[in-house]
Formats: sequence, C-alpha cells, structure tokens
Amino acid sequence: MSAPLIETRALTLAAAGRTLVDALDWQAEIGQRWCVIGRNAAGKSSLLRALAGVGEAALHRAGQVCWLGRDSHAWPAADAASVRAFLPQQSSDRFPACVRRLLELSVARPRYAALGLLTALDAAGLAERNVLELSGGERQRVALAQCAVQGAPLMLLDEPVAFQDPAHQLQVAQWFGGLSEHALVISAHDVNWIARAATHVLALLPDGRCEQGRADDMLQTERLARVYGCAWATVDSAAGRFWIAQ
Amino acid sequence: MDAATLMRHDLPGRRPRLFIALPLAALAVAALSLLLGSAGLDLEMIQALRGPRVAAAAGVGALLALSGLAMQALLRNPLADPYVLGTSGGAAVGALLALMLGVTMALGAAAGALVAGALLVLLARRALAASDDASPRLILSGAMLAAVFGALATLLLTLTPDQRLRGAIFWLVGDLSGADHASATLLAALLFSLALRVRHRGIDRLLLGTEAAHLLGEPVRRLRLELLVAASLAAGLAVASAGAIGFVGLVVPQALRLAGVQRTRDLAWLAPVGGAALLMAADLLSRSVATPIELPVGAVMALLGAPVFIFFLARGGR
Repeated sequence: MSAPLIETRALTLAAAGRTLVDALDWQAEIGQRWCVIGRNAAGKSSLLRALAGVGEAALHRAGQVCWLGRDSHAWPAADAASVRAFLPQQSSDRFPACVRRLLELSVARPRYAALGLLTALDAAGLAERNVLELSGGERQRVALAQCAVQGAPLMLLDEPVAFQDPAHQLQVAQWFGGLSEHALVISAHDVNWIARAATHVLALLPDGRCEQGRADDMLQTERLARVYGCAWATVDSAAGRFWIAQ
Repeated sequence: MDAATLMRHDLPGRRPRLFIALPLAALAVAALSLLLGSAGLDLEMIQALRGPRVAAAAGVGALLALSGLAMQALLRNPLADPYVLGTSGGAAVGALLALMLGVTMALGAAAGALVAGALLVLLARRALAASDDASPRLILSGAMLAAVFGALATLLLTLTPDQRLRGAIFWLVGDLSGADHASATLLAALLFSLALRVRHRGIDRLLLGTEAAHLLGEPVRRLRLELLVAASLAAGLAVASAGAIGFVGLVVPQALRLAGVQRTRDLAWLAPVGGAALLMAADLLSRSVATPIELPVGAVMALLGAPVFIFFLARGGR
C-alpha cells in the first residue's frame, strides 16, 4: 500500500504556552475534502501552515508532517510545490500585476487550463484586471485559481470562502466537489457550508485534543457544542439539514 | 476570450511602444549630450572629454536604476532605493575611507555598499524572515542606516585635509565631471541587466511575497542573497564612479511601473535604459544651464525630476 498523500504523526503545535494541537495522528487521501473546524485562535491556521510546511517563528512544534510518506521538511522547495498548494488567509499584494500574470507565475509551465478554472470560479472577467484593484472576494477567488493551477494534488486552503457572498460560497463548494483528483484541507466556520463542501471534518477542541471523522458523523450538535462552546439546533427541510447556533 | 488567448498573449501591461520609444529617447539624449557643450562642436573635445562623460552618465544611471529595481524586489517594497536605504551612503563612506587610506576608491565604494546592504539585511532579518508586511520596519532600518552613513561621511569630511576636500565633497553630492571607468560601468550595467533577466521569473514570484515564492518552489534565500549582492554592487559601482546620486533608483522603476511595465523581464531592460537617459539628460542640463558653472547633477535631477514625477502621480496615471 502506498503512503497517504498527507499524514501527521504525533503532530503537536503550541504557541504562547498553550497547546493548540496535541499529538495529532491523521491522514488524508485523494478525493477527500477535510474541513478543519474550531473556535477563533484554536489553531486552525497554524495547523494548516504546519501541514503546508510553512514555518511560524512563535510556534513550538513536535512530531511529523509527511507528504507521500516523506517528512515535509525533507522535500526540496521545487518538489514540494508539485505536491502541495497553500492558500493563506489573506493575500498581501504590494505590486500591481495582471491577474493573468499571477496565474502564469503559479504554474510550472503555462497551461491552457487556467481559463476553465477562472470560469468555474466566476473570475474569467478578471483575467485582465490589476490585482491591486480587486475586491476582497474577487482576490480570494483569483487566489484559489492560483492554488489550483499550481497543479499540486494536495490543496491546503485557509478560509477560502471568508470573503465570498452566498452565491459564490455555493459555487466554490460545488467546484471543490468536482476536484476528484485532489485532497483538500479547508478551514472554515460556516457549518452549513461545511456540510455542503466537506466529506470529512477535523475538529480542534480548546484543550488541543482533536476529533476526526466523516462529516455526517462529526457535525452532531453535541460535538459542535463542545467545539464551539455554544448550543446547536438542527432543522430538517426539503432543501436539506440546517445548523443553527444558539 | 478562449483558453488559448488567456495564456498565450502577453500582458496588457506590456507596452510595445515604450520598448522602442525609450531606447530612441536615450539615443537622442546621448547624441545631444555629445554635440552640445561649452566648447561647441569639436571632435577632439567630444572624444577626449564629452564622450567618456556621457558614457559614464549612461552607465551610472543604468546601474542606479538596476540597483533600485533589485532592492525593490529584495525588500518587496516599491519605495526601496539604494539612496534611501543607505547603500549609497555606505558606498560614499567607503569611498571617503579609501581616499584617506590611499586605497582605490572604487573598491572602497563597492565594499561600503556591500557592508551597508548586509547591515540592512541583518538589522531587518526578522522582518525579512516573517513572511510579509515587515516593510515599514525595513524602510525605517534603511533610513536609520542612511542617517548614520550620512553622519559618518560628514565626520570624515571634517577630518579630510583641505587640499582633498573638494574631491571628497564630490562623493557626497554626486558629480559626473570627474567620472571615470565609463566602460566598466556600462559593462557592469549590461551584466546586471542580464542577471536580472535570467532570474526574472523568480523575482516576479518574490514580488508576490517571500512565502508565496517559497510555496511555489523558489529558492527564496539564495534569490534574495543574489539580489542583495547585485543591488549593493551596482550601487557601489555607481557611487564609485560618480558619487552618491539619489532619485534615479527610486524614480525610474516607479515611473516604468506607473506606465504599465510590471514584469521583471521587461523592467530589467527598460529600467537601465531609462536610468541612462535620465542621468544623461540631467548631466546635459547641469553643465549647460549656467555655463561656465557646472551644477551638481544630483541636485539638478531631483529639482526637475521630482516635480514631474509628482505631477504624474497626482494625475493618477497607472
């Protein structure tokens, strides 16, 4: 059996004397879409960064992150780029650039797949725009396209729909659903969106313990109450199940 | 627009006309500079004096523009420039020290620029290591370095014996009248331009952010070290040849960006051409406005260039 695309072995993350993630053993395979949930400052971004192999100065770290069975730190940067793509929570653009140029810079070789991507993300009209003039939501969809054109099977996405309006949130969820040759690890807060977008959920509890499993098992009201510290109710309707924080 | 057009065509930011107009303008300025002067049209004069001076102006302008371009990419800040960040100041101090010690001044200037560049990176290394948004700290560190080197240069000046004072002031004000090594600066500018051209994709990725570049597989640390060495050496050579001249390194890449040239591949070629044209033009003015007095070229350039640049900024051209 081949090694999983990504795997953590006793991964522990601590910051400012607080354990964010305690001895996490977890793995993800092609075709899975994992959502990482947890309270603010629970460590979702730190976990995603650790999974992406991006260091954080203030973070204490133990254990291993392996891509295809090999420690993430042992990968040369150029090879790592062909395995994982990472969407940071926010882009920090400082120089003007054309959206199309951003996409060109994100691929190993120019490929023609980029326009299809932009269309799927309702961003085709942005191709000629200056990145500094995009709205937050537009920039985020472009950043998603940048991640995708990198061609890496593992996509780590830190709050990819934080700036999206409801229609675009839905569109992004549907696009994720079609990425059958990727493994996605996504952090998000909207449980109703997660129920649509995720196949699996990894929950970070306030004490650093983690719970993981299939999305329908994980999105139980009692568990959500433990994760978020507030009560939850569900409403079943013809359009599906809805989660309401109380 | 179909998929093929999306990736095949070049950026709208690329301005084909500029690729022809700017070199033509540079050539025109060079021709004017050779033909005009206090002694009129005298072939010997052109060969012996004006030729080398015009060539030095072109080389120094090109080097400064390239240095600014490299620094802006290194620090990921469009406001970076060898003069603002103390590299030119370091070079001037190095040159003054060399003058006092009797060492080759060009060597001193290059060493001073490298020291200043290394100090800048050392001071700001936490800011550089943190993925992004460290630039206020970087710029401030650079400004402090520039202040320190400025003060050091002033101190060195007071210690300089009177008969050498005029020569020493030359390094601080920036002046092309005594510029030599013209062919060396031109050759160096060509080499630096080619080097940036070779690395253009990595540099463009670096402009997205150091972390973004790393995630895309760029050897970020090596790339930034190369940029630091290139920017410092280019600034050092420029200062060694013509003293500390500001403005070019900041303004030329900025003006090109405002005109829509965004790719390092294009800037690596257009910036030195623009820098050469700008400095040759400023030199022509500085020696023909108030003949027989020669005005310092750095002052002339900033006096005329800054208002023009402000005008374009205010017009909001992009």
